Amino acid sequence: MDLTHSFTVPASVDETWAAFQDIESVAECFPGAQVTSADGDTFEGTVKVKLGPIALVYKGTGTFTERDESAHKMVIDAKGKDKRGNGTAGALVTASMESVDGGTKVEVVTDLAITGKPAQFGRGVIQDVSDKLLGQFVDCLQGKVGAGGGDGGPEETAAPAAESAPGASTPAPDADAAAAPAPEQAATPQPAAAPAATAPKSGDDALDLGATVLPVMARMYWKQAVAALAGLAVLGALIKRLRRH
Amino acid sequence: MIPAPFDYAAPATVEEALALLAEHGDDAKIIAGGQSLLPVLRLRLNAPEFVIDLGRIDALRGVRDDGDAIVIGAMTTHATVATDPLVAEHAALVGKAVRTVADAQVRNRGTFGGALAHADPAGDVGAPALALGAQFVITGQGGSTRTVDASDFFVDLFETAIGEDELLTEVRIPKHTGWGAHYEKFVRIAQQWSIVAVAAAVKAEGGTISEARVALTNMGSTPLRATAVEQALQGQPATEDAIRAAVGAVADGTNPPTDLNGDADYRKHLAEVLTRRAVLTAATG
Repeated sequence: MDLTHSFTVPASVDETWAAFQDIESVAECFPGAQVTSADGDTFEGTVKVKLGPIALVYKGTGTFTERDESAHKMVIDAKGKDKRGNGTAGALVTASMESVDGGTKVEVVTDLAITGKPAQFGRGVIQDVSDKLLGQFVDCLQGKVGAGGGDGGPEETAAPAAESAPGASTPAPDADAAAAPAPEQAATPQPAAAPAATAPKSGDDALDLGATVLPVMARMYWKQAVAALAGLAVLGALIKRLRRH
Repeated sequence: MIPAPFDYAAPATVEEALALLAEHGDDAKIIAGGQSLLPVLRLRLNAPEFVIDLGRIDALRGVRDDGDAIVIGAMTTHATVATDPLVAEHAALVGKAVRTVADAQVRNRGTFGGALAHADPAGDVGAPALALGAQFVITGQGGSTRTVDASDFFVDLFETAIGEDELLTEVRIPKHTGWGAHYEKFVRIAQQWSIVAVAAAVKAEGGTISEARVALTNMGSTPLRATAVEQALQGQPATEDAIRAAVGAVADGTNPPTDLNGDADYRKHLAEVLTRRAVLTAATG
């Protein structure tokens, strides 16, 4: 299963690339994620995932199998395992950056390989969750990457242009469909709502899937991302199971 | 599977339950009817160290009349809500929707407040509560209460306005006495979670719709109120053609999931068809 996300940050490619090299710093943008150790191209981390009644802790390891600075492309191979051994998931994350008008476009493609029961489920929930996570993660990242000149002053207000390639985002309600019943709460795409540069959550906060969903995809850069991905995948499956099919 | 070991307490009052919640914090989990939590524990998707059972708090059970609203205690079972005469008279939509929840066993154990707090977007209690403008009474530490409107209660997938150290204690539902009501639920197999469902309450006078309330189940990460449809229905004759025209755009702006039961476009189509049926049935009986 391939999941694709892209977003734009208001920084140059080189700055963005550099920002992504600091695993621990990036990890801060991930509520619930913690890099426990990093050694060269390999890292270990945990991700706490919380969604409604579900609470899981994933431990994961990741390896940068490719880090091409000239092409601004990195590939991370990660594996996550639930602490209680309920599920495993592997993710091959490819992040590429390119210079665009006004900043850098980052595209993240995640190939998820899930074993066990979750594998029989579709991607609906995973997509939803990952979109939300990405939105929050990107907001935080933008704050970090884009605030370089801001001197810690007022947060940059530039809204992150988070767009999720898979088209899962909510279509904006058609403004001129006057008679159209746009359901009250339906319409707002989530990512736009989050303020840029949200305060980094402390590392031991649980990733609150409901609120803070796992920025799984975004994490591509770090192992935690990977672990989170695994968590997500399992979660998706879980949610379905919860529904007693 | 068997749940991981946990400690358990069944306090007799809301105050005790809140104190336990404050004491154990993140390690604690509240159990109401347990129809969602227990499967989670058995699958070991969660392993709280402490489970706080609200089942012995009698004050949280029952339905009472409170002037212009009825008040449903959070621990009132679905089965009770489904057959309660006050609900039938003043909030028929809620009673009808609750009757579609899972099966009789689940309705006998599962609770109205528990299902709302669980906030599964495919659950059947959120949409009628939203449609009728329910108010959620949330009790916090020290016994202080706050009231949250339905439009603010459902935050996201499995997420509500209830704080970590708070409990949902009551749900106030403004009386809609004399309104027609219908909950149209679409499933492929009995007792399934809604693929899509529509809750509609209609006030009709002399064959004309004077007011309508419409909310959708499983068309987004929370129940959704279709306010534009409600406005479009106002003043329309209660006929199939008029209703068909008024509800045609009900799915605009929604973001339904795609899964093995159907893709998003299919659900959008369903929403339109089910809304037409729900409104027509509510308006004409």
